[in-house]
Amino acid sequence: MTGGQLVTSRDLLSRRILAIDDEDANLLLLTSLLEREGYTDVRCVADPMQALDAYVDHDPHLVLLDLMMPGIDGYQLLEAFRRQARPDEFRPVIVLTADTAIHARRRALSLGAKDFVTKPFDVVEVALRIANLLETQVLYERLQARSAPAGG
Amino acid sequence: MPPIAERARSAASGWADLPLVFKGVVVVALPLVVLSMSLVSLWLASDAESRAEDDVRLTFAIQRDTHQVHALLAEAAAGVRGYLLTGQERFLEPYRKSEAEMPRTLARLDASIRDRAVRVRFERVMALTVRKREGLAGLVELARRDDPGRDAAIAAALTANKRVLDGLRAEIDTIHDLEESLMASRRARVDEVRARYLALTAISGLVGLLGSLAAVYLFSTGIVRRVRLLEGNAELLERGEPLAAFPEETDEIGRLARKLDRASALLRAREQALREGEERFRLVIEGVRDYGIFALSPEGNVASWNTGAERIKGWRADEILGQHFSAFYPEDTRATRPAEVLDRARRDGRTEDEGWRVRKDGTRFWANVVVTALRDEEGRLRGFAKVTRDITERKRTEEALRVAREEAVAASLAKSEFLSRTSHELRTPMGAILGFAQMLELDEEQLGDRQRTAVAQILKAGRHLQSLINDLLDISSIEAGGDDVALEAVDLSDVLREVRELVAPIVGNAGLAFRFEGGPDRLVVRGDRRRIVQVVLNLMSNAAKYGRTGTTVTLAAHRDGAQARVEVSDDGPGVAPADIPRLFTPFDRLGHQRVKGMEGTGLGLALSKRLVEAMGGDMTFRNQTPPARGAVFAFTLPLAAAEIRKGAA
Repeated sequence: MTGGQLVTSRDLLSRRILAIDDEDANLLLLTSLLEREGYTDVRCVADPMQALDAYVDHDPHLVLLDLMMPGIDGYQLLEAFRRQARPDEFRPVIVLTADTAIHARRRALSLGAKDFVTKPFDVVEVALRIANLLETQVLYERLQARSAPAGG
Repeated sequence: MPPIAERARSAASGWADLPLVFKGVVVVALPLVVLSMSLVSLWLASDAESRAEDDVRLTFAIQRDTHQVHALLAEAAAGVRGYLLTGQERFLEPYRKSEAEMPRTLARLDASIRDRAVRVRFERVMALTVRKREGLAGLVELARRDDPGRDAAIAAALTANKRVLDGLRAEIDTIHDLEESLMASRRARVDEVRARYLALTAISGLVGLLGSLAAVYLFSTGIVRRVRLLEGNAELLERGEPLAAFPEETDEIGRLARKLDRASALLRAREQALREGEERFRLVIEGVRDYGIFALSPEGNVASWNTGAERIKGWRADEILGQHFSAFYPEDTRATRPAEVLDRARRDGRTEDEGWRVRKDGTRFWANVVVTALRDEEGRLRGFAKVTRDITERKRTEEALRVAREEAVAASLAKSEFLSRTSHELRTPMGAILGFAQMLELDEEQLGDRQRTAVAQILKAGRHLQSLINDLLDISSIEAGGDDVALEAVDLSDVLREVRELVAPIVGNAGLAFRFEGGPDRLVVRGDRRRIVQVVLNLMSNAAKYGRTGTTVTLAAHRDGAQARVEVSDDGPGVAPADIPRLFTPFDRLGHQRVKGMEGTGLGLALSKRLVEAMGGDMTFRNQTPPARGAVFAFTLPLAAAEIRKGAA
């Protein structure tokens, strides 16, 4: 609160989160976890074909993405997100996948994923990673807001 | 005494041995010498004749002069007598003439006379002449005196003069006779000399003729005949036949003949060697069975054929010679391929080709063909050499291998796909089970005791199942040749120090002492850092499981040649020798029955061994050497290339 420098839990919990997974059980787990943590604006997409629309429509601050999905897989979505991205934006994607192969990890990270967690995951760990990335995002945005007038 | 024939032969060979220059000189000089000899003898003959004629002329001159002496004195006496009778001066004319002429005539005679007998007479004539002239001079003196005794004195003087003149005449006659006989003898000698020299000339001419004939003969035998022989030998040499024997002579022709002989021997030896080489080469080529070796004309017609070609292609030599080699090609390539192959060989000198060919019976075989352009020294194309191999078997094997490889790759891909899918299919529900169980655990204060125990059991069993799935998938993935091991240079010492921090609590919790012998400060190996950690953790937890309370677990590392060696040892019961071979077999947990409360999937050792092998190392087990007890697990990893060089330096 002092000087507005600290990131409060309220700053984080109001952030928009998009979870994309074709398994309903996983989506339920994630939403339960996020709701338990206190996040207020979580949207789930079980049909990957609708993922991109939801991404544009919901304009999430953070995306939780499964890789292995029918129709359109996580890699393709990562590429699509990257095409949509503005040059100065920081919109982290956490990949959550059952694929433990090293090439999957490398490929996802090289396509722009900010984190890679294999299933089954530790819910506490995932919650922490989400909070960390969002905190970084808030700080990044403040830095941008401060340097933008000076720059413009 | 050597027989005459032999001597003649040695003389003949002596002549033949003389240098050609000398022979030429002899042949030319011999007639010349004879000719000059006859010229000299002719000259001598004419010289002798002219000298004889001079002598005759001299004789005539002497005779004439002696007669003149007599005549002058006789005329002077007659004149003096006339003067005495008449007293007329004109009668004294002959006397004065005589006085004037006499000394000259006498001087001439004195110079001309050579014969000693004549000279004696001449001396007397001289003396008589002086007396006569004195007598005449006295008469003339008396005639001019007018003295009474004059007539008597004159008469006496006349008588005396007459006697002197008579004596003189007698002497002159003698001289005359002597000269006459001298002349006769000289004439005879002249005739004799002339006859002798004529005979000499005739002989010379004859000898000259014979000499010329001899020279021609010598030339013919010594040079012409031998040159003809040599010419014959040169023709024999040209035809490559043995040369006729040539006499051993040392002149130029003899030497030439010997050189020709040597050249012939040399040529024949070379020809022989060449023929033998060619024959051998031909036999080798013809005898080769595994390679079809044959020649083509520049147009591509078969020019030679060997056993191998017959065996591979089925045609006999007499069936295929002269045919175009496109007959070996199947219908689909016959029109284009042969020309292309020859073009390439012509351009590049050599070309290799592989493809289907047909045999005489129409069956196909897969051939490897090497075509080489054959060019002569001027670079003109003389044809092509073609070597054909039937590699149908090899082709078939290669094809089978290729199919097998493709199938293996496909199988591996299928397996990877299967693993990936299985992994996904197993983990996804596990994710839900563990996730929700964890969620419940987070809110456990809201649960009753029974629920709390149930959640704890769900989590425990779920985590065991998860690690089982992980190990199983790791093993399967490695066996399928997956890329789960990423090799790079890793500092093993650093990794072990890290692992030490992780395992110290595990070992401590098991009530064991932990000893760490990390080896050198830096030990760079080729491996996957994550996997090395996994293997060491596995071995350490294994050792912690089996070690008896109060004993020590040791983690040690050291360099061993081009490898790093890591050993994990405990003081536990070790492994029964009969069980050692089963140690690294999946799901074969030795001692499971003996040790209570032991955790583990039964895959740890099997997975560790496979991981180490995937990184190029090896894992072994041994029991401690008695009296020490316990198990020793050891694994090796190859040192990084830079490390090996450092160690070698």
